[in-house]
Amino acid sequence: MGLLTPTTWDLTGRVTANAPVSSGLLRLDVELPRSVTFEPGQFAMLNLTGAGQLVFRRPFSILASDGRTMSFLYRVVGRGTERLADLEPGEAVDCLAPLGKPFAAPDAATPPVVILAGGVGLPPLHAWLSRHGRPGDLACFGGRDGGDVPWSLLSDEWRVSVDRDVDIPAGRQAHHGLVTELALSELERDGDPGPRLVMACGPTPLLRAAAMLARDRDWPCLVSLEEHMGCGYGVCKGCVVPVRLDGPGDSGWRNANSCTEGPVFDAADLDWERFGAHHATGGAA
Amino acid sequence: MKHPHWWTLDVEAPFTIGPRELPGRVWTASGCFAYGLTGHDIAAQDIDSPYAGIGAVVTKTVTPQPRPGNPMPRLVEMPVGAINSIGLENVGFEAFIAETLPALAELAVPTVVSLAATRPEEFGSMVAELHAAGRDMPTWHGVELNLSCPNVAEGGHDFGSSPETVAACVAAARSHLPDRALIAKLTPNVARVAPLAAAAAEAGCDAIAAINTVVGLDVDLKTGRPVLPRRFGGFSGAGIRPIALAKVDEIVREVGIPVVGIGGIDTAEDALKFFALGCVAIQVGTAQMRDPFAAARIVQDLRRAES
Repeated sequence: MGLLTPTTWDLTGRVTANAPVSSGLLRLDVELPRSVTFEPGQFAMLNLTGAGQLVFRRPFSILASDGRTMSFLYRVVGRGTERLADLEPGEAVDCLAPLGKPFAAPDAATPPVVILAGGVGLPPLHAWLSRHGRPGDLACFGGRDGGDVPWSLLSDEWRVSVDRDVDIPAGRQAHHGLVTELALSELERDGDPGPRLVMACGPTPLLRAAAMLARDRDWPCLVSLEEHMGCGYGVCKGCVVPVRLDGPGDSGWRNANSCTEGPVFDAADLDWERFGAHHATGGAA
Repeated sequence: MKHPHWWTLDVEAPFTIGPRELPGRVWTASGCFAYGLTGHDIAAQDIDSPYAGIGAVVTKTVTPQPRPGNPMPRLVEMPVGAINSIGLENVGFEAFIAETLPALAELAVPTVVSLAATRPEEFGSMVAELHAAGRDMPTWHGVELNLSCPNVAEGGHDFGSSPETVAACVAAARSHLPDRALIAKLTPNVARVAPLAAAAAEAGCDAIAAINTVVGLDVDLKTGRPVLPRRFGGFSGAGIRPIALAKVDEIVREVGIPVVGIGGIDTAEDALKFFALGCVAIQVGTAQMRDPFAAARIVQDLRRAES
């Protein structure tokens, strides 16, 4: 890939904040013993320490890194995130980060970007927009309902859609429907939008819709997958996804580690027919 | 960690398994550390490197042909371990020799190559080719025969459960491996493991590695079906440690061949239990998936115990 990624650090940090930012999403801030740089799209493997330690760490996309503090967003979906939600400020967290291939930074040839973030898939795209966003980029977030949307994290440049049109705070707006519909209506408001780069992270239906939206228009599309992982650093082969061997049109495929070859993939490289229902469960358990 | 009065071993002193010396007695187990960390740079503040003090890296198992592995999901986390059904996904022996082995030669740590096959003659021909390719590689220590992976469909966990088959595989490999170590990794999924170890010893292996994973299954209550598409997989981690200790003890006491202990070793204390039973070395498996420094940290803790 030619991407120079920062050194991965294995560190034990301390929770500085662990609180809901919406009805379903929590933000975890961890102060590490040293500052760790990351590229948007990279992730961390987190675990509790001592008696609460899980057999495997859990992968979380990095929302932000400010000095020695690294921030994450999560939803309680299983044993791991249940234990994470119980952590109080001051408690220890094991953190292996950063890991994985990021979303690339834009260059002069990169067309304006369309960001499609679904639920807990927000962090990598939020980080990318904060660091690399340019005028003309379009950022869209899809949530379950108004209460599920982490409004405090979304500046006015974010467009928001919800499945259920309830609990929208005063002064904020949300489209009722799919986030891809919202993006298309924004893009086509003034006619042909011209070429775009689509970048998506979220549940599998969103990723498929994003890939299809891009493919139909011959636009490039990058998706960040959220596979369950064992190790997160490329040794266990427990998080593989099917990728085409030679790009579109080739019938061959192989397994790629989503931890080291991803989590960001070119949507055209993924074998969507083999990408089964067990994939991309929408966040770490 | 407190230093037990009986503990005198230096796990970082050279010792011999087979015809050659190794620099240490704590290794990483097959399938849990790939082929080492090629292309990775992982750092920690409390320890130099994931290889610090490690005696050997046992590679992910290589098979005669490439294998795509099993369908997902492949891992089920349990409270005290995990059930895996990776299915020996690997690039195949030809690509391993051409691409992976030269990369392994760059590692500072000795390599033990794990091989699996379905017939003794396949073991023989792979070992012969490996010997030709690795003869001039000073860090290639030897071969570990994976006679026991429970999640390969052809053969399955019955493959390594007959003493005759174990003996045939070991003999086939031994005949092509005159000057490197030959280790037979045995299944725990038998009533008694000592007859397998005795057969392997008789056929000429230098040591026994025990144990491989224990056959396990979990059920998804939402669907009422097994979580893994192939129903069962290999259970590993802390939950199998008592099984591993019992099987190791059986081999050590009844066969008297050097034993490399494996099974749920998370900490230096766990490692000491295997050494206490007479293991000459130990391997760290599932813990290495959680922590790239797991084996190195066990060495560090055992070193502290000696001071």
